[in-house]
Amino acid sequence: MREDPPVKWTDATRPVTGAVSLALRAERGTRRALGRRAEDAALAALDAALASRVGGEAVDRVLASDLAARAVGRALEGPLVEAVARDVVRYAVLERLSDGVLDDPALERLLASALESPAAERLLATALDSPAAERMLVRVLDSKLLDEAVRRALEGEELWLVVNEIAQSPAVTAAITRQSIGFADQVAGGVRGGSRNADAWLERAARRALRRPPASP
Amino acid sequence: MRDYQGLATRAIAFAVDAAIINLIALLVGVGVGLALSILSVSNTAETVLLACGAGAFAVWTVAYFAVFWSTTGQTPGNRLMRIRVCTDDGAVLSLRRSLLRFAALVLAALPLLAGFLPVLVDDRRRGLHDMLAGTVVVGPGA
Repeated sequence: MREDPPVKWTDATRPVTGAVSLALRAERGTRRALGRRAEDAALAALDAALASRVGGEAVDRVLASDLAARAVGRALEGPLVEAVARDVVRYAVLERLSDGVLDDPALERLLASALESPAAERLLATALDSPAAERMLVRVLDSKLLDEAVRRALEGEELWLVVNEIAQSPAVTAAITRQSIGFADQVAGGVRGGSRNADAWLERAARRALRRPPASP
Repeated sequence: MRDYQGLATRAIAFAVDAAIINLIALLVGVGVGLALSILSVSNTAETVLLACGAGAFAVWTVAYFAVFWSTTGQTPGNRLMRIRVCTDDGAVLSLRRSLLRFAALVLAALPLLAGFLPVLVDDRRRGLHDMLAGTVVVGPGA
């Protein structure tokens, strides 16, 4: 009687591994689908919150609160301002912004409404009164950027056209004339005062020499 | 009492007038000299021109003082120092009195300026030329 060949272990477990891998694939598919649904639901909830009146009011209240002012003040006192300024220059943020974004009318509307709010005014006052603003101003004044800007302004013809225009204006010429006349009058007044004193001194000396009594006042 | 003006104030006013007279004469002299330099002028003509120039300078000087004294009573130097030449009663000088005052001014300057010294001791601060012409020099309030 011929003996049957021995059964291999892999052949025996193949149905099981197949079933397991199928189950794992099903579980991953389900999880992915659930994750997408959850993300969609979260975004929809966020959109609804942003579009709602409550969301807008909440933002206004947060901006109007002392907490926001304190938070801005703390942030400006710290090294954050310097870091932001460095990064703005490093990543050419202003140049990128100017390429199109600044021409957007929506941005203009947004800025106008933000600037007109009392909260923005308070935040601005806090920012301007902070030591960080002072530090930033000092840095700007010490920077090469300012020197370069001044150099370019001085090299440009526009500045000298403006200077010429101002210098030739009737108000300026009248002021210079008044100033010159005032100065000449002041000098002449000084000479006159000195000469009056010299007159009196010479007369006293002459009358003493001639032994005559002083002139009556 | 009127505000009679003393020697130093009057001397400064006179110096300003002398500077103006000489500056204008110099400018005219330079202009005439440049014009004549391109012409060939004989020695005799040159002498005559010099005499004419001196005469013109004298006329210019006399006219300067006489016209200002007889019109406003103030030369530019007087105006700068805020003084005025007038008669004893405060009137503006006539042209004749102005010419007389200028001649007396020259007379007062001849003896080493001694004719001006009475200004120092006279009660109305008058020099020899003021006494001869019957004039006084007063301040702005007079």
